Amino acid sequence: MISQEELSLARECLDIARACGASACRVTLTKSTENLIATLDGQIDKVTRCADRSMSIAIFADGRFGSFSTNKLESEALRDFIGKATDTVRMLSADEFRRLPDALRYCTAARSGLEMDLYDEAWNSLGAEDRTRMAMEACVTGKVPHAGLDPASPGYRLISEEGEFSDSEYDTYVLDSQGLECRHCETSFDYGVEVTIEDADGNKYSDYWWTAAPRLKDFDAAACGATAVMRAASQIGSTPAPGGRYNMVVGAECASRLVTPLLNALNANSIQQGNSFLVGSLGKQLFSDGLTILDEPWRKGEAGAKLFDSEGVATKEAPIIENGIVKRYFVNTYMAAKTGMQATSEDAIRPRLCACGGSAKDKEALMALCGSGILVSDFNGGNCNMTTGDFSYGICGQLFENGRIVRPVHEMLVTGNFLQLWKNLVAAGSDFRTCATKLVPSLAFSDVDFSG
Amino acid sequence: MDIFGLSRSQMRSIVAEGLKGGDWCDLYFEQTVYHDLLLRDGAVASGGFHLDYGCGVRVLSGEKTGYAYAESTDFQALMDAARAARAIAGSSGRFGVPAVSGEAPQYYPVLSPWEDASLERLAAWLVELEQAIRSREPRTLKVIAMMSWSQSDVLMYNSLDELTQDSRPLGSVSVTAIFGQQGRTEQRSTSRSLRCGAEMLGDGLLQELAAETVAGLDDSFAARRPKGGKMSVVMAAGASGILLHEAMGHAFEADFNRKGQSIFSDKMGRRVCRRGINIIDDATIPGCRGSIRYDDEGVPGQKTYMVTDGVLSSYLHDRISARFYGVEPTGNGRRESFRYNPIPRMRTTYMESGSDGSLQDLIASVRKGVYVDKFANGEVRIGEGDFTFYVNRGYLIENGRLTMPVKDINIIGNGPQALADIVGVAGDLKIDNGTWTCGKEQSVAVSCGIPSVLINNLTVGGE
Repeated sequence: MISQEELSLARECLDIARACGASACRVTLTKSTENLIATLDGQIDKVTRCADRSMSIAIFADGRFGSFSTNKLESEALRDFIGKATDTVRMLSADEFRRLPDALRYCTAARSGLEMDLYDEAWNSLGAEDRTRMAMEACVTGKVPHAGLDPASPGYRLISEEGEFSDSEYDTYVLDSQGLECRHCETSFDYGVEVTIEDADGNKYSDYWWTAAPRLKDFDAAACGATAVMRAASQIGSTPAPGGRYNMVVGAECASRLVTPLLNALNANSIQQGNSFLVGSLGKQLFSDGLTILDEPWRKGEAGAKLFDSEGVATKEAPIIENGIVKRYFVNTYMAAKTGMQATSEDAIRPRLCACGGSAKDKEALMALCGSGILVSDFNGGNCNMTTGDFSYGICGQLFENGRIVRPVHEMLVTGNFLQLWKNLVAAGSDFRTCATKLVPSLAFSDVDFSG
Repeated sequence: MDIFGLSRSQMRSIVAEGLKGGDWCDLYFEQTVYHDLLLRDGAVASGGFHLDYGCGVRVLSGEKTGYAYAESTDFQALMDAARAARAIAGSSGRFGVPAVSGEAPQYYPVLSPWEDASLERLAAWLVELEQAIRSREPRTLKVIAMMSWSQSDVLMYNSLDELTQDSRPLGSVSVTAIFGQQGRTEQRSTSRSLRCGAEMLGDGLLQELAAETVAGLDDSFAARRPKGGKMSVVMAAGASGILLHEAMGHAFEADFNRKGQSIFSDKMGRRVCRRGINIIDDATIPGCRGSIRYDDEGVPGQKTYMVTDGVLSSYLHDRISARFYGVEPTGNGRRESFRYNPIPRMRTTYMESGSDGSLQDLIASVRKGVYVDKFANGEVRIGEGDFTFYVNRGYLIENGRLTMPVKDINIIGNGPQALADIVGVAGDLKIDNGTWTCGKEQSVAVSCGIPSVLINNLTVGGE
């Protein structure tokens, strides 16, 4: 945790900046400690201890602005650093729109950093033996039942398992020359595993799984290894399906890939530059009636919850897209001044895509709803043209008919345009993973182009 | 290097502390100062610099790794880090790491140090770049251009008493422009990144970037999605080297093979593509973004033939994988910063020129396919070998001629199959000097290149 001495140092930075001639300044002090235990095939492979501190300083001087950071936090070094930073700012072009936020918008509720109930004191009592035990308990090498290499059964051999348990503590303190002081502390316990299996013909298949929780009592990695193995095994014998138009069901484990471009396109930075397919979309119904995405940053104890953004502005629980209508752009102080738009927050903090289209809760129910199509269990590369919304992604998954999986598919591409895709949203489940910071459930779309 | 303030005897003591828990210990000192300037809405009104300083301590015990770092080079802090890193102690395997000797040549001399260049001059160059784009293309709506330059000073010391140091400059310019035509918009991006000083910022580069940014804009507005499916793909010289990076390079990184994960892990010494094809990973190209005098384990940078005359001839090794395979390290042990332990990573990956004529010859040989020449990102699934790369720009090929422009399509294939399906290699090798960054666990600067090639049977995304 950030010490009193470090808090004082951050405050001192404001004084130094002012003494150097800055008219305004924001300082963000971050401190984190992380321990990682990596395993390879059921044995400890790597132990890492990370301890980081960094001071980020935004300086406003003579109508100009610059952004700086350093991890040399001795008082004398900081004094020299801020002096040079202020000199640099003075050499940039003036920008009348650069300013600190309206102080009335500041978060005043994050004083101790513990308000969101995301800090687990149990982290402090975790020892090396506990970490090793948790990393080893999560391993499946030697434990996974499999059918060996009997060609008569869907046999496979686990040939590699790489796991990583990590636990971390993050502490962020933001203050500025208008009196802002905000703090956010959280702990996190994480496990991720990647496995490679080999089938009877010597073909390899790899897959992964992960989990995370802010509190140790909620952390359970027991199923991760087996889930990763089963996901890899589900790909045995995969081949491309014929190209064409299919219904598409996207599993909750990877569905946020389709939401991220929407959120990015709502950022005022992109909109002001014309580099967004959602320019001029505010208040318009562009998507399926069923599409509702809410920002829910105030949920105590939930991963991703936070009371303030990087400017110290209070976050807000509000719809981003509601019943297919765009309700909110993400507008920071600079973009608000520059464009005349109302300032909101810099980004979505903890977006949740709401269930729609009936009672289907998960991908199995969505497959039943769609009847036939392709279930996407992972994306492989691809990108989106932000000015047009055109996208193309590699995928692997399962071909399904009559609501049931028929066979695995891979080496396929899904191609389209995000405006059209989200018009074709058929239903969304409610099975989002609570360990993620974007809460996106399994999704079903109609009329999607696949190439294979 | 004086900036780290430790004597060799102090380094020796820290390493000795680490060796109480392992059979190898090394130190990686780093100071990186990164500067940036951003042009937006016609003015360079944003910029800054960022300082990162510290030292990583690695202890190896057999193949197992203990790692810790300190954001200082205080002796006691590093002794504590050595004690934390040796927590890996207790494993069984013990085998020696070979010494690596030799002074590496300088691959990135700096003629005009960045610190001597005035911010006003650098900012003016960005403004001129925007003007050059606008003067070439009246449909320009917006231009965002970023210039960045960094200097990484690194010093490496290890339990063989080897002391190595390097100073790595990296200058980059990237530009994104938005163009408008009849209510429609198109975005174009281009970049340059070189290990050199501010001498890269000549008028020649400025005009090159401006020309590349606007080139083929009419075709971009006219481009459509092709009908998707399997087809022949002609990949233009240069940036198409992303194919080698994604489809082959990662699968040749020895850590994936040591762990049995790579689809190429049982193919050493076997033919993976037709005779005459040589695929290289090279640290020694002067000024290239992917070049390094020494890797981040102190091993001299090298030119490594991964595929020689069509046969898989070498993986890319760090010291761990090299001793596992009983070969010399290839100088591929790289890391993002002192916060990370080194792992096998590519540098500049390319294919040597072939003898199948010119790009036009390759296109003329295709009845139905696509030609692609501008790319964004790529990805690979190591086990299956399935790779993808995203195409920003290309054309349909019909009966040996370029026809309809296409854009925003992903292409997917399988590494070993794609290698085997390379049926034409032109004689026009080109290294691409864009801002390529590889994101395998950590971000490192790389580059890529290739002559024009013809590949049968890749799957092209479409409608």
